[in-house]
Formats: sequence, C-alpha cells, structure tokens
Amino acid sequence: MTIRNTLQDHGQRYRPRMASLKKSEKVLLEMQDPKTGLKSQPQRLVITTIPHAITGEDIIAWLADRFQVNTQEARSFGSMLVAFGYIYPLQDHKRLVIKPDASLYRFQTPYFWPTQLLPVEDTDYAIYLAKRNIRKKGILEMHEQEHYNRLHKWMNHKWDFIVMQAKEQYRAAKERKKPDRVVFDCQERAYWVVHRPPPGTVSAMDYGLDRQIDPNSDEAATPDFYERIMIFTQQSIMRPRVKSSVSIGALVKYCATYNNHDPFLSNCLPSNPWITDDVTFWTLNMPCVEIPTKMRVERWTFSFAELLSDTRGRDDFRLFLKKEFSGENLAFWEACEDLKWGKAASIKEKAEHIYKTFLARGAPRWINIDGKTMEVTVKGLKHPHRYVLDPAQTHIYMLMKKDSYGRYQKSPVFKDTVKKAICPDEHRFSGPQLEQNYKKRRPSLSPIILRQMEQEQRAKMAANIDITQLCRFTTPVPHLAVYSGFTDYPTATASPSLTFLAHTPACPSPISVGLDSTSVSERRVEEAEGDGNPAARAPVGGNVSRSRMALSLRRLLKGGCTPATMFASLSPKCHSAAGTSSRIQPIGPDQPSQAPPRRIGNFFQIKVDIPPECRIYPIESEDEEEESRAAFRGGVGAKEIICPWESLTTHNGTG
Amino acid sequence: MGKDECKTMLDALNKVTACYRHLVIALGSTSDSQNLREELKKTRKKAQELAVANRTKLTSLLKDKSISKEDRAEYERLWVLFSSSMELLEVDMKRSLEIGQDFPIKVPTRHFIQTGMTGSTTTVAARAMSVQNMKYEADSNIDTVDLRELQSEITQVTQMMEEMEMKVQVAPWAVEAKQEAGAELKSNMSVGNSSVGVISICEEEPKEEEGGGSRDSGIASVCAVFVFVVILASAGILGYLVVNMS
Repeated sequence: MTIRNTLQDHGQRYRPRMASLKKSEKVLLEMQDPKTGLKSQPQRLVITTIPHAITGEDIIAWLADRFQVNTQEARSFGSMLVAFGYIYPLQDHKRLVIKPDASLYRFQTPYFWPTQLLPVEDTDYAIYLAKRNIRKKGILEMHEQEHYNRLHKWMNHKWDFIVMQAKEQYRAAKERKKPDRVVFDCQERAYWVVHRPPPGTVSAMDYGLDRQIDPNSDEAATPDFYERIMIFTQQSIMRPRVKSSVSIGALVKYCATYNNHDPFLSNCLPSNPWITDDVTFWTLNMPCVEIPTKMRVERWTFSFAELLSDTRGRDDFRLFLKKEFSGENLAFWEACEDLKWGKAASIKEKAEHIYKTFLARGAPRWINIDGKTMEVTVKGLKHPHRYVLDPAQTHIYMLMKKDSYGRYQKSPVFKDTVKKAICPDEHRFSGPQLEQNYKKRRPSLSPIILRQMEQEQRAKMAANIDITQLCRFTTPVPHLAVYSGFTDYPTATASPSLTFLAHTPACPSPISVGLDSTSVSERRVEEAEGDGNPAARAPVGGNVSRSRMALSLRRLLKGGCTPATMFASLSPKCHSAAGTSSRIQPIGPDQPSQAPPRRIGNFFQIKVDIPPECRIYPIESEDEEEESRAAFRGGVGAKEIICPWESLTTHNGTG
Repeated sequence: MGKDECKTMLDALNKVTACYRHLVIALGSTSDSQNLREELKKTRKKAQELAVANRTKLTSLLKDKSISKEDRAEYERLWVLFSSSMELLEVDMKRSLEIGQDFPIKVPTRHFIQTGMTGSTTTVAARAMSVQNMKYEADSNIDTVDLRELQSEITQVTQMMEEMEMKVQVAPWAVEAKQEAGAELKSNMSVGNSSVGVISICEEEPKEEEGGGSRDSGIASVCAVFVFVVILASAGILGYLVVNMS
C-alpha cells in the first residue's frame, strides 16, 4: 500500500492565510489595463527585443498615484510585490526589491504566481535544477549544487522521472521562438528565487508553521462538543479582564523597551548571523560566557524575570547573593524549577531532598517563608506532585524580586559587570566576504552534546562545594546538585512559630499582578506581630534594605541568641556582614520571650553546629565558636531532620 | 515485449506532460488565446488516453505474480515514473482550471498579463500531439465549456490516482533510480546545446556569455592581429627593399 500524502492538504485552510496574495493579484490585474495601467517598453538584448518591460520608477509612480500614498509607501508596496514574485527584476535578479530608477522589471505569468492552494514541490525544483544543469552544462551555482545533491539523495526513487521530465521540458521549451524562450527562462528563474531563496535572503512566502487541524471543517454536534463549548464560555467569564488602556499601555511599554534589542527591528551587533552567516553574535552571547555584551546586561535591568532567565545573569545574581549570604533563596528557587520541569519519577525524591535542605527546621539552607505557606507546603509534600512547591517558590521569587533585585542593581558586583561588558563593533562585509562566510558555515553543536555539557557543569558545581564546609556525611547527589552548588550560610532556626510575614496566600505565579501590595502586606504584618518583638522590627516602610535586615534580624532574635553572642559572632566573621550590621537598629532590651531555642539561628554566622548524628548534609564552617556550640548543646541535640510525613513521632512538636 | 511497450508509452506520457506544463505556463499571459485553450484541451485529452492505457498495462504487468524479481523491480520503477507523471498532470490541470477561470478570453475588461511572451504555442502543442501542424476547429466559447469538462476530468484523475494507490502495492521509496546525478547532461542533445547557449537571458547574463565568448574570440582576434602585423611587417620590409633596390 503506498502512502502518498497523509496530510490532507486543503491549502489555505491549513496554513496561515496570506490575504495579501489575493489583493496583490487584483492590483496586478489593474496594472495591465492599456489605458490606466502601466506603460511598458521593449527590452533590448543583444540579439532580440522583448516587449513588456517596465521601469521601477514607473511602478512606484503608478502605485503612489493609484493608492494616493507617498513615494516611500509605494516603494515598500512595490518591494512587496517583487518579493512575492508578481513582478521580477530583469537585472540583479537575486535581490527582490524595487529600485526607484530605470531598472527594468517584468510581470510574472499567472502559473508562477505565489499560491497557497498548492504547495511548492521539491520534485518541481529538482526538475528545474536538472534543466538548469543541462543549460549551464553542469556548472550550477553553489547553493543550487547543494540543493541538487540533497534532492538527488532524498528523491532518489524519483530521479529517473526527474531526468526524463527535465529533458522533455527542455525540448518542449525549444519549440518556441527565441524571445519567448528567453522570457520563459527568466520567469522560471524568478519563480525559484522566490521559493528557494539563495543564501543570505529570505523568501517572502515563509509563513511559519502549518496548522494541524482544519479550522473550517464541520464538527459534529455531539454532547461532548457542546460540553466543550460550555466549559470554554464558563472559563472565559471567569477570566480576569484588563482594561484596554492598561493592556495597550503595557504593549507600548514593551515595544519601547525591547525595540533596540530585537534583532529584526534594529541592528544586532556585530551582525545578524542569519543574514551575514557570521556567528560572532552567538559566540558572544553564549549562556556561560565570561564577559557579557552591553545589550545583554541592559536587558537584565528590565525585569527580574529577564535576569533569572538568562544563565549569565543568574550567575551574576548568584554571585551577588553569595556575597550577601542569601544564596539559599536562589538555590531554593532553582530547586523548585528543577522539580517542576524534571522527570516525574524523580519528583518524590527531589521533593524530599528539597524539604530536608531548605524547609525543615534545622535545615542547612533554611529559607524564610511565612507560616501559612510553610503549612500548606508541608501538607502538600505528603503527596508530592510537580507544583507542590509553587506557593513557596512564588513567595521566594517575590522576595528576591522586591528585595535582592533592587540591591543587586546597585551593588558593586553588577556595576563591575556593567563596566566590563563589551560592545562589539558592527561588521561590514563586502560581497565576496559574504560568500566566504557562506562557504564557511558549519552546524552548531548538537543539543545532545550541549545537554551533556550542562550536566557536567552542574556536577562540577556540586562537587565544588567548599570542603571545609562539608561534614563527612555529605555526599552530593548529582542530579540534585543544581542547588547545592553554592553552599551558603545556613540559618537553622528552631523556632516553630514561623510567623514572619503574613503572606497573601496562593499567588499562583511569580508574575501575578496582585503583589504590588506586598509592601502594604508587610506593613500589615508589622501590626499583626505586635505581640512579637516590637523593637526588633525595623519599620519596613519603603526601605527595602532595612526590611531585609529586619527579616534576618527577626530570624536571629527568634533564634534567641543574646546580643552579645550575636555581635561577638559578627565581628570576626564576615566583614561585609559586619558592615551591614551597622544598619541594624539597636536591639532593645526586651529580648524574645519565646521558648528557648533548640538551635542557634545565627544569621551572620557562617557555620552551623549540628551534631554529627544528624542525617542531613550539615555544613560546618572553619572555626567554631564556643558560644554557639555551648548554646547549641543546650538545645535538643541529636535531632535528625526527618520529613514529617515519614514518621509521626518527630512531628513538629515544639515547645 | 511488455516492458518496451510500457517504456514507449511512458515516454509518450512524459512528453505530453512536459508539453502540457508549457502550455499551462502560457495561460493568462499575452500569448494566451483561443488557440491555446484548444491546445490545452487536446493535449489534456491525449494525456488522459495515455494515462489510462499506461495504467491498464502496468497494473496487468504488476498483478502478474509469476514475474522475476528484476522484472518486478523494473516494473515498480516504471510504476513510480507513471505515478509521478500523473501527479504532475493533476497539479497542472488544477492550475489550468484556476487560471482559466480567472482569465476568460472574451471579456473585454479582462486583460492578459503582459509577460513579454507574444509568440504562439502551436509548436509545443504539435509536439505533444505528435502531429506536424495543429488544426483549430473549436468554437468561441471554448473556455467556459472546457472548464466544466476540466473540472470533471480533474475529479476523474484524482479518483484514478487514489484507486491506483489502493490497488497496486508498490513502495515508491524502495525503487532505485537507474540514472545517477548529472545524467541529464549525458544526452544526445548536442544539437540543441550550443544554440541555446548563445542566447542571453537578461542583461546580466549577456555579460557572462559575452565574457565567455570574448575569451575565445579574444584569442582568435589576437591571432588575427598577430598575423596582420606579420603581413604588414613583411610588406613593409619588401617595400623598403624594393625602394632601396630601385
């Protein structure tokens, strides 16, 4: 059984409809009118004279007159007609533009007009190439030769037919008179320039992907059909509506921001590889390049999402967070992404690991999320699925966005990157150089290899943990190494009451709009925590950095270390931290009257003291402070971090 | 032999397909006319006759279970040739229907596209019909009448092709071509090559052709100049001697 063409091609109904084609045909027909149309002149060649040649300036003038537009617009309209192939240039046939001078053009015969009803077959192209081969006695242009070889390989079964048909068509063409033969050759060549563009050009008939279903096919009126309609209408009622002024404003803002960064709308430096075949642009913008380009760095300032989505930007941000000792936020966020996008089989394992590393009490890289979210998350982790960590991830994302991102942009890390960013010069290639570039193009690395390199790098990062910070039980798990790369400063607090921020629950995505009110909510939280540590709270106000300190401070104080301990641990350790600590408000005498801490949550300390019996991956630092160890031993020692759903005995029974 | 018959018939079908394509290309342009429509109709009819004949022959050959493997491979190759021809024919017929509908002959407000082709296509049609001269006998409303016929013929052809696919079990991708790449260059067309090669397509190519030609003619002219100079020199020397002598 032969399988001819399984995809039933109903022409325009499957492909994105190009309405401009039908309209252009009408214009073409108008141009043919002997009275009101274009005036043509004969083209004089060496031996023959061929009629019906039109000049570019005539076309533009006629279009401007007919449609009452200015010359510029008439010119671009004319270029469109040439690009589609309705009119073809007689000189410089590879450049499908209209020149506003006396260069000659001719109309294309209707058979060769672009149409979406019937696809342009490779068989026809092969026949054309074979004919051209005969005519040129074997000397084809380079890209034609490439196509020829490729078609010979892939259409081998039809090759006899192609050769036979090419010869016959060649002979049939010779039956006509000389001028007609010339015209026919021109026409065919012009047709194939449009549909198989030579290198360095694009075809105007590129319409993107085909649709898979026929949108005009009749659908049977089954109950299922109506059910789908009902669901659709219900959902569209529930969809939040945005005012058009707002949405249009957003569009305008987006266009204005990204206009210079779009390689189609403006020049991309040094040159657009798709046009000049020179890949400098891609090598300069690789994901893990040392020195990014200025444009790239500028994009990082547009939004936090841009910064995170760019690998290099994320690296920079990670470096900054490392200096600020809050790298666990980014690590947690990355871990959640890994969970969301990873394999289904590994979800359970990853979720457990994340809990043990980030969420549990006493976790080595504990992140700071509010109690309600923590409750929801822990409950969800009993039956983990892909999106179980979404609320927590959103919270952390917004935290980073509102807080760290702003500071990052003012930080010396970022300023340094900006200063070092390069701005390459624009390439100016001449014609022969472009041909050279075309010859030298090579395919890029296979995505399989790229993925392997990525994984190797992750494993390296995981293995690159500071050895002194590892306890002998630590064994980095490779596939989970994405976030154990930089081991940052654990803040293991024991406090059960994690009422830090009353988080407006369940923001479904980090990008949701409603979080403009975070600062307000923070303020609300302040009031709610009135029974907590009044003095410890730095007024949030609009002061992002101070709220950051406030958070850490709160954590500190919930950990319940004495100010003496805290300051003592501060000074020898991190000078940067010490520097920032000067911004902390003086801590009042009313220290937390909460339960004595299980463990010390000493934010500014690099290390954490966890007894060796612990099953998690404890991270020790170089020097151990006496006070902390003493204080620690005061707490409940030998407590393992076990996921609460694993055993009921070690559930959150806190004092 | 069945195979040779098949081959000749396929060649004929091939020729008719090629000519039909040429004729359809001329549709709608300034070389269009009533004659062209008639030519199209006649060529089409011939193509259909040939197609039916080919199909019956090939199906009977392929249905025969008692043929050898090489024979079968050969017949499959011929079958692929036949079905590719039919595909081209079908596409061309659809196009001719579409263009024929868009460009009716008799309507005075409808002008043909000034493509630069002004000659007639009689010779092409004559080649297709394998006759010396074409006779035109159709009436003036051929375009509208013909189009209706054309529509039914297109459906016939599509049906035939679907039938062919269902009934004949040939895997087209398994067929190996006998011709290798560049086979079209090795042909007995030496008569045609040189004459076409001289024609220049557009203003660009004349430069190429002239460049090539001038290289040869340059050598010739250099030789001629050299000979001329030699003759002049010898004439001068002789004249000088004569003058001196006298």
